[in-house]
Amino acid sequence: MDNMRKLKKNYEDVEIPEELDFVVRKALDTHKRKLKKGSKKGLKWTSGVAAAVLILFATVNMNSSIAYAMSEVPVVGKLVKVLMVKEYKINEDTYNAEVKVPAVEGLENKELQNSLNEKYLAENEKLYAEFSKEVEELKAAGGGHLGVDSGYVIKTDTDRILSIGRYVVNTVGSSSTTFKYDTVDKQNQILITLPSLFKDESYIDIISENIKAQMRQQMKEDAKKIYWVEEGDISAFEKIKADQSFYISSSQKLIISFDKYEVAPGYMGVVEFEIPTEVLSEVLVSNEYIK
Amino acid sequence: MKRSKMYDVLEAYILKNKESHYRLAYSYVKNKDEALDIVQESIFKALSSVDSLANAEYLKTWFYRILVNTSLDVLRKKGKLSYVEDIALELNSEAKEDVYEDFDLQNAMDKLPHNYRLIISLRYFDDLKLEEIAAILDENLNTVKTRLYTGLKKLRIEMED
Repeated sequence: MDNMRKLKKNYEDVEIPEELDFVVRKALDTHKRKLKKGSKKGLKWTSGVAAAVLILFATVNMNSSIAYAMSEVPVVGKLVKVLMVKEYKINEDTYNAEVKVPAVEGLENKELQNSLNEKYLAENEKLYAEFSKEVEELKAAGGGHLGVDSGYVIKTDTDRILSIGRYVVNTVGSSSTTFKYDTVDKQNQILITLPSLFKDESYIDIISENIKAQMRQQMKEDAKKIYWVEEGDISAFEKIKADQSFYISSSQKLIISFDKYEVAPGYMGVVEFEIPTEVLSEVLVSNEYIK
Repeated sequence: MKRSKMYDVLEAYILKNKESHYRLAYSYVKNKDEALDIVQESIFKALSSVDSLANAEYLKTWFYRILVNTSLDVLRKKGKLSYVEDIALELNSEAKEDVYEDFDLQNAMDKLPHNYRLIISLRYFDDLKLEEIAAILDENLNTVKTRLYTGLKKLRIEMED
């Protein structure tokens, strides 16, 4: 039975991820919390999860088709445009990649424009190279499924503000989605960063507290929503990062975005919070961008 | 047994056996995130249907059944699931035996159809009884035995029990 011992050893050698304990406890906690809230029977988890996943997919698909449509039309009113400059595609049976590279055109600040465009190109070339490498490795190992979908959406495009969101959906195994944003002031031709909007660092706590309150409120109103926010939760959401993903909506509100798994279970997908401007009034440098 | 008591037993079981559950899920999907999702979803399903478990004696079988079915659902969604008829595998196994000189054991194991691999895994890695495996898979005992022997034969592992 030496062979069986070898196989058993291989089986037991599978690395146990650090997150396992967390995921298990989280599942147990979540259930308890739901029971306390007084639902009479077992929750219909499966249907809730399925619906949430469906919404995520629909959103992503919709976004990519919007992005595609936009890539053919000059989108930004007068001068500044976002174009699709490059597209990588792999379409084999079990390997699919679609990587669309955006580029900004028409900014007078060429330095800013070039730095953005070089960043976009470098990001996507890297993504594509990594994907190709993984495919090669997987083929050598006997094959499998691998997919990546990357592109961009114009989140906001007003006379003043351009917010470009770039997403990567990794469809290997359970899909992971990440969103990154750049927000440009078209009039002053500058890139807006999150810290640059505020007088000092107190915005981190102010925004974090507001998000936590919103999370709790949403969970209260909808039993299907889960955020990792309760004290005592392992790795509960505490604070946003100083350079947390954000964009400015067309109504000039600040939107904070979290990647899948960042503050909530996977089925919640990418989550966004609009921060009420009143909450920020004390710390905003001005109301120029955010009203 | 009272429900709350059963719930406590289940919770303790889940915490204690999380690594075995993860390994089983991983052996299906070969992917960390997905295996974690399977473990999580299985726990949700188990907790919300703990009422259907009448006797704590069957806890392990019952939980594995949920775990296996959740894993299969995931594979099915990915279109990766292929069943192989018992006869087809027999023939295949005979024809290939000669080329096994340079035998890559793990590779052969991975290539076994999942319904064969699972039985080996449950029997030898998780130390479940054949009767329990039959209950988990909802198959009769003879089918489980046949698949186990066929699977082992393909791996050229001698049976001892």
